[in-house]
Amino acid sequence: MIEVRDLKKYFGKVKAIDGVSFSARDGQITGLLGPNGAGKSTTLRVLYTAFNPDSGSALIDGLDVVQDSLAVRSSIGVLTHGAGIYERLTARENVRYFGQLHGMSGHELNARIDELVDMLEMQDFVERRSKGFSQGQKTKVALARALVHKPKNVLLDEPTNGLDVMATRGLREVILRLKDAGHCVLFSSHVMQEVAALCDEIVIVAHGQVAASGSPDALRNATQESNLEDAFVKAIGSEEGLL
Amino acid sequence: MMHNNKFLGFWTILRKEVIDNLRDRRTLTTMGISIIVGPLLMFGFLWFIEKTVNEETDLVSAKPIELPVLGASKAPNLMNWLAQNNIEVVELNLDAASDQDQAIDKLVSEGEKLMILEIGSDFATSFEQSKTAPVRLIHDSSISGVKKIGFSTVQQVLARYSSTIGQLRLQMRGMSPQIIRPIQINISDVATAEARNSEILTMMPYLIVIFIMVGGMYLAIDTTAGERENGSLEPLLTQPVKRSHIMLAKLSATAVFSALTFLLVLVGLALSFKYVPIESITVSVDSAKVLIIFLSCLPFVFVACALMVLIASFTKSYKEAQSYLGMVMLVPSLPLVMLGILAPEPSVSNMWVPSLSQGLIIIETIKGEAIASPLIALSMLSSLLFAALLSYVAIKLYQHERILG
Repeated sequence: MIEVRDLKKYFGKVKAIDGVSFSARDGQITGLLGPNGAGKSTTLRVLYTAFNPDSGSALIDGLDVVQDSLAVRSSIGVLTHGAGIYERLTARENVRYFGQLHGMSGHELNARIDELVDMLEMQDFVERRSKGFSQGQKTKVALARALVHKPKNVLLDEPTNGLDVMATRGLREVILRLKDAGHCVLFSSHVMQEVAALCDEIVIVAHGQVAASGSPDALRNATQESNLEDAFVKAIGSEEGLL
Repeated sequence: MMHNNKFLGFWTILRKEVIDNLRDRRTLTTMGISIIVGPLLMFGFLWFIEKTVNEETDLVSAKPIELPVLGASKAPNLMNWLAQNNIEVVELNLDAASDQDQAIDKLVSEGEKLMILEIGSDFATSFEQSKTAPVRLIHDSSISGVKKIGFSTVQQVLARYSSTIGQLRLQMRGMSPQIIRPIQINISDVATAEARNSEILTMMPYLIVIFIMVGGMYLAIDTTAGERENGSLEPLLTQPVKRSHIMLAKLSATAVFSALTFLLVLVGLALSFKYVPIESITVSVDSAKVLIIFLSCLPFVFVACALMVLIASFTKSYKEAQSYLGMVMLVPSLPLVMLGILAPEPSVSNMWVPSLSQGLIIIETIKGEAIASPLIALSMLSSLLFAALLSYVAIKLYQHERILG
């Protein structure tokens, strides 16, 4: 469960986010949709404790991201934007490293990694050193690394960036399985179709503020548009950055 | 478990960085090179000095210097004098027809002869009349190295002959030769063999300090600027580990490799001292000395690593970090320049300075002169304090959002 209330973060005069509020429930997929530079990544960065907000608050399972940042980090799994993995470690070692950082070890950890390898179909390269991995393989490793400690809340920043069609389909299935398992999934994207296909709840972000939010149906109704894309354009007030 | 759960993150990161970098060819190459190149630089240099010195001595004392002389018959006494001073006079015969001066100059300038002594045609007359008799010594001043020594020796022998004859002439006229020697310069060299070694040994601190830096440099960059460039810093910072622990783990990993390189260089140097036959160096570095130097200079490893990690954390990319750290390497060698020039004795006023104090410890220990243990303690404490301060700044930097770039 993620609750964001009137979150603000300025970088000098740039208002990266300027009063964002929304909530993401367990067992649901929530999409942060918006053009590039709308404030999606900054919102996520505050949520995964990389940035401190200037004002407002964000709670994850009732824990404040600023006050209880260590506890928050234990309860979230994060796929950062352009997630890098360690090239001189094998895929398994990359995942194991993060598992250990969450206090896992031994049989429990290995069993969990095997589980993820099956789920993400990493069998072919799990024992290989990561140098030379394709973008799809790297994303899988980064995703396995984010999920290794079975986090209740999963935050994904533009997860389909750089993935081909097959890899994107695979990722979509993984996200749906996380939803079925009762996780709270929050992901950002600037790709409308992706959000429309997956999300139970859409939060449209533009100029650092929430332009509209709700289920896809609710959004269509609110904007009086039959097509979600038109609803999106209407909500953000322009066609900028729309892909 | 061997460690407290609180430090689990620290140990996990430290272990990962060590394993990760053991797989990095650059790190390993640096360490491998350090154990070979360090001693090679040092002893190559010493070997060269000794070779030159030996050749010099051979040339001056053992082998007579060959001196072609034109008109030797005009100055038989001088020829005797030269022969007594280990100079082999070789009579030079030229065609009477040609221009003799030019012919001689040509012989020397073309390198056929190193030098030629020409006795002036009126040498005998002038000499008999107690006038200044001219001789001409032709040489090529562009010749360098040990060949020059022959020329200066001949010059000295000629000057001595001149002054001896001058003295005799004064005595014959009932005057004391002291009249034309207003002062007498007495030079005494009291340096012992060991002390003369130590002059050469001022090289040791340079080598050691530089390799301490080089040994940790790749990790300092890889674990900070490299990790950010790789895009793995942000995921790492979202793990439930305190940023201060992340920073300290990276610093420790850097220190592990730096200390390892330090030890390898020391062992390499010690072995070379033992097995490389350089006669002029009468120094032994046994395992006790290696241990003393390693332990008492270990705090400098932390200073160097904290400094490098701090600087590398500021930079935006691997390349930028590399060029900055290249310059940072100069910082600890500056106090060592002072050490080389001023050669200060260890004291409270200099043993608190990182790098300078370690330089003094290295030199004095190798020379076999013990430094008072309070001074060593001062050096270690002060360096640890510097390291703590630099680490603190680095940790503060890691708390900042700007670290994500």
